[in-house]
Amino acid sequence: MQDSFVEPLKLLELPVWEKIKNERRLISFDLEITARCNNNCRHCYINLPAKDKRTKEKEMSLAQIKNIVEQAIELRALWCLITGGEPLLREDFFDIYLYLKKKGLLISVFTNATLITEEHIKFFKRYPPRDIEVTVYGVTEETYEKVTRNPGSCDAFMDGLELLLKNKVKVRLKAMALRSNVHELTAISQFCRQRTKDYFRFDPFLHLRFDADIKRNEEIKSERLLPKEIVTIEKNDPERFQALEKGCDGLINPDFAHFGCDHLFNCGTGNGSFTVSYDGFFRLCSSLWHPDCIYDLKKGMLAEAWHKFVPQVRGMRSKRDDFLKKCRVCPIINLCIWCPAHSYLETAELDNPVDYFCKVAHARSESLAPQFRPSIATQP
Amino acid sequence: MEAQVDLNSIYAPSEDVVARDVHGEFIIIPMTSGIGDSDDAIFSLNEFGRAIWDKLDGKTSLKEVARALALQFEGDTTEIENDVLGLAEELLKRKMIIKA
Repeated sequence: MQDSFVEPLKLLELPVWEKIKNERRLISFDLEITARCNNNCRHCYINLPAKDKRTKEKEMSLAQIKNIVEQAIELRALWCLITGGEPLLREDFFDIYLYLKKKGLLISVFTNATLITEEHIKFFKRYPPRDIEVTVYGVTEETYEKVTRNPGSCDAFMDGLELLLKNKVKVRLKAMALRSNVHELTAISQFCRQRTKDYFRFDPFLHLRFDADIKRNEEIKSERLLPKEIVTIEKNDPERFQALEKGCDGLINPDFAHFGCDHLFNCGTGNGSFTVSYDGFFRLCSSLWHPDCIYDLKKGMLAEAWHKFVPQVRGMRSKRDDFLKKCRVCPIINLCIWCPAHSYLETAELDNPVDYFCKVAHARSESLAPQFRPSIATQP
Repeated sequence: MEAQVDLNSIYAPSEDVVARDVHGEFIIIPMTSGIGDSDDAIFSLNEFGRAIWDKLDGKTSLKEVARALALQFEGDTTEIENDVLGLAEELLKRKMIIKA
């Protein structure tokens, strides 16, 4: 007789992770259930006003979401991130969440926590999420609301977070490093680490808008830190900097320097996951908005997007000389935010080098100890 | 209190779990809290466990399940009955099945 028949596993122990090293298999997907948000953060790449009727009308209905989820289950997806905008703005949030649960998906939720109520807590305790990720924009009202431009949002955030933590809902905290909150970043980091044991990250890389709003893009750029500031805050965070140094061999990947190869995509985009926009467009990742790289799930099937469209996008090539001679063969590309998706958001083309990204990557590379520093590749 | 199972009992999957094949791995995912040891846990069943699980349909007794499996796997009936009882006991303890 066997000792145990039912083996408890942690997610990372599943054999499927080995399988996806060698072949494309769908593991996870992001559902952006709304682009609307009750905050109006200066740096946000997606937020539209909470009461924006036109945007609300374009949102996928519950039936459309169920249909896509059903198709994702057929492709054996295991994990879904519910995100936005602010997902809790959807009146049918509980219905969407519960449907995903009933389909056997693990669920993460990204929220600003300002709309969390006792009802959410009761629901999350009954149907636990894998985790809830909350961004901390500041730890003082002045800084927090300078970022969110939403009076009262700091108190609402503190109350929402307190409710989640008090009731032991699994929360992960993160921060964006912005011009508006950089003076408070150490305090933000301490605030987060005091409240969550296993995880904290901050991100200094701000993406431009999905809707290419010129005024909002200028605001985002004005929130970006200088390359030397990014290096300084990374060095001031020993955990992060040590991780960067330890993982440096993996980050600076000589395999990325393919002289003579003209493929656009060298990241893993579309290999194990996809993103669905609030209005039902399939993308390989949340940043990839080029019209040739999106697929309308209201008109086609997920299986076709996954099996036919993704390989077609991943097969795209570039003829741009400065891309092929610069980014495509750059040995520190893995220290850089550059990718075709961000190139498109910055320059309206998929294969343009972006000066700011380049400067940040070089500053990061130079900040590493000499033994970790890559040498710049030269053409053979 | 220890979960008591016997061969004459009939069980069905609990509505609080979802059993799925994820890229060749048969796993049981708790939908509600209090199923696993932690809210993080997912559970794996081997081929034999899956064969038992598939037969826990709320209509078939464990004895009939064991008999069917003994034919399917050409195994010793007593040994298979013990395995079926063992699995059912564990699933019941973890609240993954309910008595029909």
